[in-house]
Amino acid sequence: MPRADVVVIGAGLSGLACAAELAGSGASVFLAAKGMASTHWTHGGLDVAAPDGASTSRDGIARLAGSAGHPYARMSDHVADAVAAHRARLDGTAVAMVGDLDMPLAPIPTALGALRPAAILPMGQGAAVGPWEGQGLLLLGIGHFRDSWVDYAARNLTAGAWPGGPAEIRAVTADLPGLDARNNLNARTLAVLFDDPAWRARALAAMAAVVPPGAWRIGVPAVLGLEAHAEIHAHAQEVLGGAVFEMPSLPPSVPGVRLFDELRRRITAAGGRIQVGFDVVEVERDGRRVRAIHTEAASRTLRLAADTFVLATGGIAGEGIRAHRGRRLEERVFGLPVTAPNDSEWFSDDPMQPHPIESLGIDVDDHLRPIDPTGQPVLENVRVIGSSLAGMRYLEQRCGDGVAITSAHVVARSLAARSAAA
Amino acid sequence: MPAGAEVDVVVIGGGATGAGVLRDLAMRGLSATLVERGDFASGTSGRYHGLLHSGARYVESDPISARHCIEENAVLRRIAPGTIEPTGGYFVATPDDPDDYLDRFPAACAKAGIETEPVPLDELFRAEPLLSREIRAAYRVPDAALEPWELVDGTLNSAREHGATAHRYRAVIGFERDADGSVAAVMTRDTRTGEEETIACRAVVSAAGAWAGQIAELAGARLTMSPGKGSMLIFNRRFSTAVINRLAPPGDGDILVPVHTVCILGTTDITGEDPDDAVVTEEEISALLADGERLVPGISGARVLRAYAGSRPLYDADEVSGAASHDESREISRAHHVIDHGARDGVGGLWSIVGGKLTTYRLMARDVTDAVAAALGNDAPCRTADEPLPEPAGHSPYWLGDRLAAIEAEGGGDADLVCECELVTRQRLADALDRRADSSLDDLRRTTRLGMGPCQGAFCMPRAAAMLDARRADGRLHPAAPDANVALRSFAAERLRGTRPIAWGDQLTELFLTAGIFRGTLGTDALPEHTGGDDAAS
Ligand SMILES: Cc1cc2nc3c(=O)[nH]c(=O)nc-3n(C[C@H](O)[C@H](O)[C@H](O)COP(=O)(O)OP(=O)(O)OC[C@H]3O[C@@H](n4cnc5c(N)ncnc54)[C@H](O)[C@@H]3O)c2cc1C
Ligand SMILES: Cc1cc2nc3c(=O)[nH]c(=O)nc-3n(C[C@H](O)[C@H](O)[C@H](O)COP(=O)(O)OP(=O)(O)OC[C@H]3O[C@@H](n4cnc5c(N)ncnc54)[C@H](O)[C@@H]3O)c2cc1C
Repeated sequence: MPRADVVVIGAGLSGLACAAELAGSGASVFLAAKGMASTHWTHGGLDVAAPDGASTSRDGIARLAGSAGHPYARMSDHVADAVAAHRARLDGTAVAMVGDLDMPLAPIPTALGALRPAAILPMGQGAAVGPWEGQGLLLLGIGHFRDSWVDYAARNLTAGAWPGGPAEIRAVTADLPGLDARNNLNARTLAVLFDDPAWRARALAAMAAVVPPGAWRIGVPAVLGLEAHAEIHAHAQEVLGGAVFEMPSLPPSVPGVRLFDELRRRITAAGGRIQVGFDVVEVERDGRRVRAIHTEAASRTLRLAADTFVLATGGIAGEGIRAHRGRRLEERVFGLPVTAPNDSEWFSDDPMQPHPIESLGIDVDDHLRPIDPTGQPVLENVRVIGSSLAGMRYLEQRCGDGVAITSAHVVARSLAARSAAA
Repeated sequence: MPAGAEVDVVVIGGGATGAGVLRDLAMRGLSATLVERGDFASGTSGRYHGLLHSGARYVESDPISARHCIEENAVLRRIAPGTIEPTGGYFVATPDDPDDYLDRFPAACAKAGIETEPVPLDELFRAEPLLSREIRAAYRVPDAALEPWELVDGTLNSAREHGATAHRYRAVIGFERDADGSVAAVMTRDTRTGEEETIACRAVVSAAGAWAGQIAELAGARLTMSPGKGSMLIFNRRFSTAVINRLAPPGDGDILVPVHTVCILGTTDITGEDPDDAVVTEEEISALLADGERLVPGISGARVLRAYAGSRPLYDADEVSGAASHDESREISRAHHVIDHGARDGVGGLWSIVGGKLTTYRLMARDVTDAVAAALGNDAPCRTADEPLPEPAGHSPYWLGDRLAAIEAEGGGDADLVCECELVTRQRLADALDRRADSSLDDLRRTTRLGMGPCQGAFCMPRAAAMLDARRADGRLHPAAPDANVALRSFAAERLRGTRPIAWGDQLTELFLTAGIFRGTLGTDALPEHTGGDDAAS
């Protein structure tokens, strides 16, 4: 029966970061998750804080920390350390990050041709950030790939205001060898093709052939390989003759998959254990402490005992919190109290704008222990991290990744300090 | 014919009834044009339960309606087989359903001409294993699933073949009347461009369904409608292969209709005033699920994809017959009624056709066309029951498996799918846009089922928007069509409207994922209002 110092539940950015940091500091860690997480859905950048009006991420953090109930209100002092720890973890890998908390939040183009603010991005997306200084933007699409819409994106980017943006915006499409409408092309299948050196050479040549003369930065679909990404990215810049950046589109997110794979490697390399694919089905308690959880594993249940349990199950999108009919909300592992804006309408009419319900989650104390409405910890040896936390609207405030790694860092540090003291 | 008349008859309303009237007029050799304020079949005809009634539901409460249904049921199977999935149907008695109703049911059906057959319970449960084992009796009836969009489309195509025209996104805003009070012309406005046009005519048929009262008022006539709102829930899969009805007087949540890949549970019935009130309330959802449990235990824990509501085109019974009063909208006759506003209100040349069912649309059309044709001196017989509808209504019914087979036959793989849930290929969308270059994404949904599956459009919406944009850039989109960004936003809003009332469980997760893809990854909150390009945003 496995035993660990810490059991982390959830394999999203928060759970992975927490487990990696704990394993790196010598704690014994077991990460158990039901399935793949939002890494596989999102753009793969590191959104730390970009609420409306923020000039830099640091400014964004301060603004969010000022609103009561926001996770940053109790963690803002730790964000810089958490970002540094996260970057250190990824340095030297294909998902190394560029940018920092003091860089101006720059508008970067999305696959649909809207602009979103960003500062810290994986190396492969870094060239999307200005200043453009007279350079043009070339959107280079891939023929028959149904999630690349470069003409539409170019027209949207031209229609919208982009202060300090490129001198010119153009779209071209390359037909890559052997691809036609019959292939089941999603971002991931294309990335796997790019990992093959022979195919890649022909593909990049076909892409180079459609690049018009001029000084361009080139946006391509985020499909430049899974395993060999760093090499492919360098190769692409060389062949296409300009800085190349990836533009994430519909899931599966190749940048996110790379990040997931890298963090998983980190955890196992440091001796941590990971099991993805099974729900937590039972919890053993002892008063206000959790003794063990049981997960469903292949044809048997697995009992996981630990000193501390970290809940990183990701709210509604991660399926850690479930809403039942009649607005009844359930935290699915420990049955923790869930806070939601119950008195108001949960949704706005406009699907493109924030919904009040997005701020739902679990209330915690300064140690990130779950609390009840009176402020008392519900379970003493449980910590809550990531987008399970109440009080933020990560899409609107663009703070989901920052909150994930900061809460992971806060918990990992305090637990590591404790196991060192023990 | 008054000077300047452009057509013999203007038909108002592009639901099933209006389309049927247009076809009937055209087949009798009258010149006719139809105007619809939204897309065709975007009113009640596109928001109904999906059932080709056998009539058995009304054998006691409304025998006239029951007889109409069974007769037209047979006619539609003949003229529009492509719109019908012959699922068959059962009436089943649960422990809550009254014994006396059960006892009277077979005889009442026989009297209305509806063939029924008792079904042994073991046979029922073998055919429909998810049904409640508490069901104590069952009868087979000739119900079926009826696809409204293709029916209306096919009916309009037939009308066009006979020389009629039909215009969507054109609302009636008023009438011109002669000194004697009779209508001389219909004033219309294009709801997208604002352009106004007056169509002179000899007669007008209002087939505006639940909105017929509003049309009558515009003409200075009187017609009190009593719209009954009905709400329905769509589940992500079928729970039965046949239509399941409760063997009881009509009530809430008592019919389950398998439709394509999903099934629809309905309906509530709430007497209302405003036919545009399509809000589904939490109370209605609870009522539907509670009643659904009696048919399929566990249904309230299943995944609901959408909730939606339609407005029944019921007229105030006092008004047409002076008959007894009523307190529940379900007790108002569902049989249709032709109203001659010339005879009744002094507004000559205007007829309203109200009430009825989608199942009886052709019969309704015939009755009002008989009246109008006679008044215009046309004595050609009605032939709408004899001549089958042209494509798309004439082919074999939609089945997801057929789409899969067609895709596989071309060599396997995944073809070029825009919508994975409903297997909608790029080619299918292109064909739909070739036929109607002024389509929005929501209009495309009605003809192709784009975005109607479990993900409710999260993946196909941006893909299809990019297609619209490419066509606009090539000048292949109608100038009145919304540009891609407008279409994307309104389609997303329409999809959200249907998910909000049932946003719990998996569907709330789906809504969060969609929000994450749209706003997080694609940045749709900052998408320009209009897409740019050579003929950028006007
Ligand atoms: C909840 C519910 C469930 C039902 N289930 C079934 C069923 O299972 N089987 C069945 O046979 N029947 C069913 N019915 C009944 C059936 O749906 C309707 O009787 C039928 O669809 C009515 O068609 P229609 O063409 O008369 O009206 P509609 O389809 O509503 O058409 C009227 C049209 O007029 C248009 N209009 C309104 N104002 C204007 C204007 N100013 N200018 C231009 N156009 C205008 C509207 O936009 C609308 O499209 C159901 C009805 C409801 C409400
Ligand atoms: C589509 C999408 C787009 C987003 N875009 C942005 C953006 O642009 N900007 C931004 O700031 N944020 C964005 N976010 C949010 C951001 O990605 C997350 O906040 C962040 O990644 C942190 O996730 P997490 O680790 O808390 O949880 P998640 O990544 O959701 O992971 C939850 C994990 O818990 C597991 N789990 C759940 N329940 C159980 C159980 N009972 N037993 C075992 N395991 C369980 C799941 O399987 C999964 O592994 C987006 C999220 C989504 C879904």
